[in-house]
Amino acid sequence: MPEVNTEKIFASFLLSIEQVSSVDEFNDLEKEYLGKNSLISEERKKLSSMNETSRKKYGKVLQELSTKINERLNEERLSFQSKFFKEKELNDNKDISINWYKDLGSREHILTSVMNEVVDIFSAIGYTVATGPEAETSWHNFDALNTPDWHPARYESDTLYLDENLEQLLRTQTSTVQVRHMQNNKPPVYIVAPGRVYRSDQLDATHSPVFHQIEGLAVDKNLTFSDLKGTLEYFVQEFFGKDIKTKFIPHFFPFTEPSAEVLVSWKDGEWLEILGCGMVDPNVFEHVGYDKDSQGFAFGVGVERLAMIRYKIDHIKNFYENDLRFLRQF
Amino acid sequence: MKVLKSWLNDWIDVSEISNEDISEALESLGFEIEEQSDLNPNYSNIVIGKVLEIYPHPNADKVRITKTDVGSKTYEIVCGAWNFDVGAVVPVALPNSEIKDGFKIDKRDIRGVESNGMICSASELDLWDDHEGILILDENILPGTDFSSIYASSDYVWDIGITPNRGDCMSYLGIARELSNYFDKKITTKKSKLSPSITNILNTNSGKIKECDTYGSVEIENFKVSDSSFLIRYRLSNVGTRIINNVVDITNYILYDIGQPLHAFDRDKLFNTISVRKAKNNETLTTLDSQKRKLTSEDLVITDGDKPIALAGVMGGLETEVTDNTVNLLIESAYFDKVSIMKTSRKLGLISDASIRFERGIDFNIQKYGLEQFLMTLKESQDIKFSELSINTKNNIKNKKVILKKDEVKKLLGIELKDSFIKKTLKYLMIDAEINKDNIEFTAPSWRYDLDRPVDLIEEFAKHHGFNNFSSNLPQGLHKNEKGNFWKVKEYLSKILISNNFQEIQTLSFVKKEKNTVFNPEKNYVTVFNAIDKSSNYLRSNLMSSLLDTYMFNLQQNNILNSYYEINTVFDTSVDKTYNDVPNQHVVLGFITSANLTTQDIRKSNQNIDIYYVKSLINQLISDTQLEPLIKPGFHQNYSFSIFKNNEIVGHFGQLSTELQNNFEIENDVFLGEIYVDKLNLNELRLINYKPLSQYPFIKFDLSFSVPVEFSAQLIVDEINKLLSKNENEIEIFDDFQHENSRNLGIRIITRSYEKTYDDNETRQILMKISDSLETKFKITLNSGNND
Repeated sequence: MPEVNTEKIFASFLLSIEQVSSVDEFNDLEKEYLGKNSLISEERKKLSSMNETSRKKYGKVLQELSTKINERLNEERLSFQSKFFKEKELNDNKDISINWYKDLGSREHILTSVMNEVVDIFSAIGYTVATGPEAETSWHNFDALNTPDWHPARYESDTLYLDENLEQLLRTQTSTVQVRHMQNNKPPVYIVAPGRVYRSDQLDATHSPVFHQIEGLAVDKNLTFSDLKGTLEYFVQEFFGKDIKTKFIPHFFPFTEPSAEVLVSWKDGEWLEILGCGMVDPNVFEHVGYDKDSQGFAFGVGVERLAMIRYKIDHIKNFYENDLRFLRQF
Repeated sequence: MKVLKSWLNDWIDVSEISNEDISEALESLGFEIEEQSDLNPNYSNIVIGKVLEIYPHPNADKVRITKTDVGSKTYEIVCGAWNFDVGAVVPVALPNSEIKDGFKIDKRDIRGVESNGMICSASELDLWDDHEGILILDENILPGTDFSSIYASSDYVWDIGITPNRGDCMSYLGIARELSNYFDKKITTKKSKLSPSITNILNTNSGKIKECDTYGSVEIENFKVSDSSFLIRYRLSNVGTRIINNVVDITNYILYDIGQPLHAFDRDKLFNTISVRKAKNNETLTTLDSQKRKLTSEDLVITDGDKPIALAGVMGGLETEVTDNTVNLLIESAYFDKVSIMKTSRKLGLISDASIRFERGIDFNIQKYGLEQFLMTLKESQDIKFSELSINTKNNIKNKKVILKKDEVKKLLGIELKDSFIKKTLKYLMIDAEINKDNIEFTAPSWRYDLDRPVDLIEEFAKHHGFNNFSSNLPQGLHKNEKGNFWKVKEYLSKILISNNFQEIQTLSFVKKEKNTVFNPEKNYVTVFNAIDKSSNYLRSNLMSSLLDTYMFNLQQNNILNSYYEINTVFDTSVDKTYNDVPNQHVVLGFITSANLTTQDIRKSNQNIDIYYVKSLINQLISDTQLEPLIKPGFHQNYSFSIFKNNEIVGHFGQLSTELQNNFEIENDVFLGEIYVDKLNLNELRLINYKPLSQYPFIKFDLSFSVPVEFSAQLIVDEINKLLSKNENEIEIFDDFQHENSRNLGIRIITRSYEKTYDDNETRQILMKISDSLETKFKITLNSGNND
């Protein structure tokens, strides 16, 4: 029985495989050893002319050889490929230390993002955004908020007026929105009013004629001083983090009583005031036409102050100069 | 106000209470602590000396040599001051000591004479500013006494803020009263024993006006202007008051001690009845600072006969002032109306320790006590003679009785307060009250003007209970995460602009007039009546000027070329439609972008954009808008458009006029626009009309038409969409070529049937139908040879 030397074939296959230098050559080898015109295929053709015993025996020998070659071929092909791609990647080696893509600075203004954050914190507990005019009447800005006409805040040195009779002005506080909102809406009220306010100050490191506040107002059945406290503690923790400590110290505002200032513990044990608040003064309810025994609380936060504390910004002027070197840092 | 622990201790025993506990008490009672510090001066090796001899220096004219007894020894000390004589008792910094600013004192040769230390002035010992020379001490102090022992060697000072409703706390007595409840300690009562020995020669009264409720006075004879006591000077200098002389220092001292401002006149310069009236318009008075003040009928004056001699509660007159030669005094202790003093002091810019106390309201029943305390203090250092006190009062000021229902307390504060706490608080605060089953009927003491409503007393209870002792509760509104349309529109538009590389800015609302006229010459502008900067007293009528300024500013700062937007309010004088009592104002989103934009990748050149980019941006911001040409000042004549949504104008945009571009010296074309944020409804900004996807293959052909130059290309797109309305289509202009009077439009049509795959024949028929219809309808010609 003419039989091929399988070991010799396999040895020659191994020899060829060592010399492969591209993925394509594996296909050539496959053709050479397993293809239609390969030695194994030629030998297979001879099987039909053999007796059954020889046929089975020789068929098995050929099958084993072709399986062995095929397996080895796939194995080598995979390992060759993997090595090839690895090398390809190793040769593609850019200097990642270069910043080819520059930051064009396309963001919300830092004051807007702080306002959005505060609005989000309060909208999560059911407060909606309310707005009001920036050019206001003196009545909405002062009288309705229980600030008598002799009060120093009303002096022209502090407030920007629009007429010589001092009847219209640029609002000095977003508390005006409380008044407008209550005049047009019945309780329950849960609102925040972010916006611009104005004072008669030159723009410098610590003062600006324009700045931003967020006013909050809640009027509902049975709201107490404890509710005010819990609400502002919630806000401080959402904004500055759960670990921050707060304290409430008595203060005075014409439109709330009792009134308080909220301080947060900053690094080095320093306490910083971040907002003013209090139970809405009964006179305010009276001015907006609410029932005398209405109850609720109000608070006001300075947006610039929040940003300055959080990011350690030293000049209020930065917010309004709009130098991209500043804006794109946030 | 600065609070010295040693002074406070006069009124309430705080000697055993730690500074930390006092700080906490002050803060929890509503006194914001602005600063606090130890007063621990290092006075080692500084002793009391008595000058025994003085003789000239052999080699220097400007200094003298003293022999000074410092207890254990007598030293020769050279001294450059001349305000003392033999027998003076003075502080001496011995060799090896330190004075102000760590300056070391040692034996020193001064022009050939060895000086064994230094005789010190008050400022050299860091006590107070004194340019008179050496600090002269009480002659009874023994030489050699340690200087620290006559000085409150360890003290503590708090600088606290006092809210405007608590004028009564602008004195040591007032602060002690507040602390007395906190520490459960009684305050000291200072009694006065006075025996008048002269009769008044002047009549004084409170006049006919209600603005002076009480006018009290006392006459003093045998007085001599000198230094006030060491203790007074120490205390006053540490609360930040300038040391002047005994009469001024003591009036200041009484003001800080009990809160009653006093004024001293030289009695020998007064001749008639002393009274109070309103000034006449244009009447003048020369005040202590030598300024001639023009008065109005709003001001209160003290008069001698009819002649004004002082601005009541604000500043004395120059003519009747106490001088070094004064020997007889008239001391005034009065109650003046809050508002009246406030108006005068603010108008004249004369804000003093006295005026601030009057304007916040002083105790209306303390004028007599003020005079008594003055006499008691002056008597300690001088053998003066004084008259009976004259107190003329109208008794018009009374605190009314207020009824607080007990259940109101719990209703507002959310906690139940014990009767014992309520009683104790009322007692310590000296609030006269009757407590019965349901009510507390109370009357505020004469120094409190902030307790005339039930809620005022509730606040008092809350404060003394301690704000930090309240529990916390978080109430919630019904509409969670409902920020409202306005805020959501703002957020929505911002997000789109930011994703298109726009940077938000915030600019001031005040502009120069021309910033308004350049874009809105047709409007009437709102101006600020008392503007800070008189040249920028206009409220802006548009955001575009501010955007242009920022754009230019950043270019000048060598910043990258960018696109900006701002969302803020613009103003004009027409009546506002939403709020009919104020000038017209609405929130606008303004934006600016350049034809030449910096790309992110530094290796690539800048991106060139044109008006079409801005148009696509508008479509991203608000879907389904219509544009209409708009002639607008400041804008390019052809590239300026109104933006319509549902037939309402919601904004405008365009290219900056080439003339302005030239004036601003801007190299590239600039595009600007404004969107009226408060006219937009979030639900309509982005309309979603879902169209199903066809499952069949697309057919695609590019057509080229020869069209007139002024032809609007969108007409073709609309028409093809109409012809293929049953299909899923993508139709776009891909080429617009103009040469002199000829123009070719390239149109790409990609269409899919929802029902079948088109064969070649059907495709050809569609193509024919489109080109025939367009040619007929618009009188345009299909160019041959380029269609597939």
